[in-house]
Amino acid sequence: MSSIYLQALLSGIASGAVYGLIALGLSLQFGVMKIINFAHGSFLMMAMYVSYALATQAGLHPLVTAPLTAVALFVVGYACQRWLIDAIYRKEISREPIGVLIFTTGLWIFLDYGFLALVGPDSRSVDSPWANDVLVMGDLIFTYPQLAGLLVAAVITAALVAFLRYTRTGRAIRATGQDREAAGVLGIDSARVYQLSFAIGLGVLGVAGALLLPLYPANPFVGDIFGMRAFVIVVLGGIGSVAGAFWGGIIVGVLESVGSQLIPVTYAEALIFLLFLAVMYFRPSGLFGVENE
Amino acid sequence: MMSKHTLPAGARVALIAAVAAAPLLSDNQYLLSVAVITLLYAYLALSWNILGGIAGQLSLGHAAYFGLGAYTSTWLFVHLGLSPWLGMWAGAAVAVAASVVVGLSCLQLRGAYFALATIATAMVIKTLVENADSLLGGPRGMEVTLLRDAPLYFQHTRKEFYYAVALAFVCAAWFVNRQILRSRFGYYLAALRNDQEAALALGVPTTRYKLLAAMLSAGLTALGGTFYAQFVLYISPDKVLGPNLGVVIAVVCIIGGRGTLWGPVVGALLLLPGEELARTLSGGLVGVDMMLYGLLLMLVIRWEPRGLMAIFARWRERGRPAGAGAATVRAAEGSQ
Repeated sequence: MSSIYLQALLSGIASGAVYGLIALGLSLQFGVMKIINFAHGSFLMMAMYVSYALATQAGLHPLVTAPLTAVALFVVGYACQRWLIDAIYRKEISREPIGVLIFTTGLWIFLDYGFLALVGPDSRSVDSPWANDVLVMGDLIFTYPQLAGLLVAAVITAALVAFLRYTRTGRAIRATGQDREAAGVLGIDSARVYQLSFAIGLGVLGVAGALLLPLYPANPFVGDIFGMRAFVIVVLGGIGSVAGAFWGGIIVGVLESVGSQLIPVTYAEALIFLLFLAVMYFRPSGLFGVENE
Repeated sequence: MMSKHTLPAGARVALIAAVAAAPLLSDNQYLLSVAVITLLYAYLALSWNILGGIAGQLSLGHAAYFGLGAYTSTWLFVHLGLSPWLGMWAGAAVAVAASVVVGLSCLQLRGAYFALATIATAMVIKTLVENADSLLGGPRGMEVTLLRDAPLYFQHTRKEFYYAVALAFVCAAWFVNRQILRSRFGYYLAALRNDQEAALALGVPTTRYKLLAAMLSAGLTALGGTFYAQFVLYISPDKVLGPNLGVVIAVVCIIGGRGTLWGPVVGALLLLPGEELARTLSGGLVGVDMMLYGLLLMLVIRWEPRGLMAIFARWRERGRPAGAGAATVRAAEGSQ
């Protein structure tokens, strides 16, 4: 009996780490630019289709598609910030960028339904022997995609934390997030920082999409579920906190998998949103405080 | 901002009469149902405008109120035989109660957080309804008991009936919007939309007024939910509580012009027939209608963030000679 809960706990941690990775880019964009990117889930959906195309058309191993998907999404993110969002963002840089929020809402609908028109509503999953292989440890069973997801998510989170803390570019990104004008006085080009943050955010999302595909089939609306969850995680972990996103992801993953052992799965979904509303109301700075400010 | 009428009263009455009589021109039931849906969305956008436009609180979860209205009146009708004409007020009451709960917990959140909280709340309500299998039919939804020609029970086989009711709904919501824009309440809302701290410092009780706007907006939206249930005669969580609906209601108003009197109507007149046209022209390709919404929303926010009404306002300005005095004279002349 107790091993069921232990299994649920460990599986929750594994999928939660991938959720955290999904939320990481969102948190970075939110922290640096103070914008909410409602199209985040749609970009994840796009990443899953890129990974799917690489795995089925080019016959690549699901894990090998991860760096390639990351590069593709990095380019998409750079272009998106430079040619679409920047012009709207500049107009309202001194107040809350609600225009960007509405713009990305349009992008979200456009991408979701664009993919629906393009590839149809069917769910697609990668069919590789690796994706179905399991590791048995006593009573506990893990699939290889679960283990790979946990490991890669942890490594990328640690790498990004180190990048933001110790490199010149990383410090420029953090400085711009804290005080754009002061950073500008010190010679930091905020436009480039924003392009880079957006691109890094989507690059990380590309990896997350490739890790998620063996765990969850892709369809045009897959981003809606994980996108909303990413917002929950960002709020739980503290907006702008990269490490917070990782832990927030694990909380949501565990809540979902242990919760669905205790109550019907559909209620577990509502539980996640209720937690979100509660945190937003009682602790808007997140469960772990804010790292950046 | 406030719209100045340049049409004489007689012409206005004639215009409304012409719109009301429009269904007599054609017997095409398909066109008529497009017209009914267009009017419904104009009504919903006008309802949303009170909270999302005039008060500037970006709600993306109005589907929750729409669904609560539809489910309440339908349940009362199917199980207790209560006419939806009465049940719709119960639905509005439920939605207003829900908006108070949501408002007290979420309205203190700022812009983006508020938008997120409204989506999350709508998701919670949708999940609860989907799980209420025995009470509300769960994910399968509910069918409205068919009575055919029963106008006293908000039902008729002819679409002209729904057209007339929808037009009356739009006129009522437009009137409510106009009264708000002209009242002290409206000025308070505009003040807190433009600068909440400044409004608070000047003594405007911002949370109370935001809550009032939310209640009014939610109640009106719920009445639209009852209308939808009676028009389509079938409701399900996906149709009346889906996240798309909440976004579309907001998009119609934003594209037309947030916080303006005619913006919500203009948005609906453009988007709903446009959606229908896109669906026909693309040969029924699934998703094209929603792509259009997304694309137009991006274009409007990029080039005309205050909506299409801003373009009309500019045309009007251009037609006038420079100088405020001359403009006033022209406006006065125009209204005679």
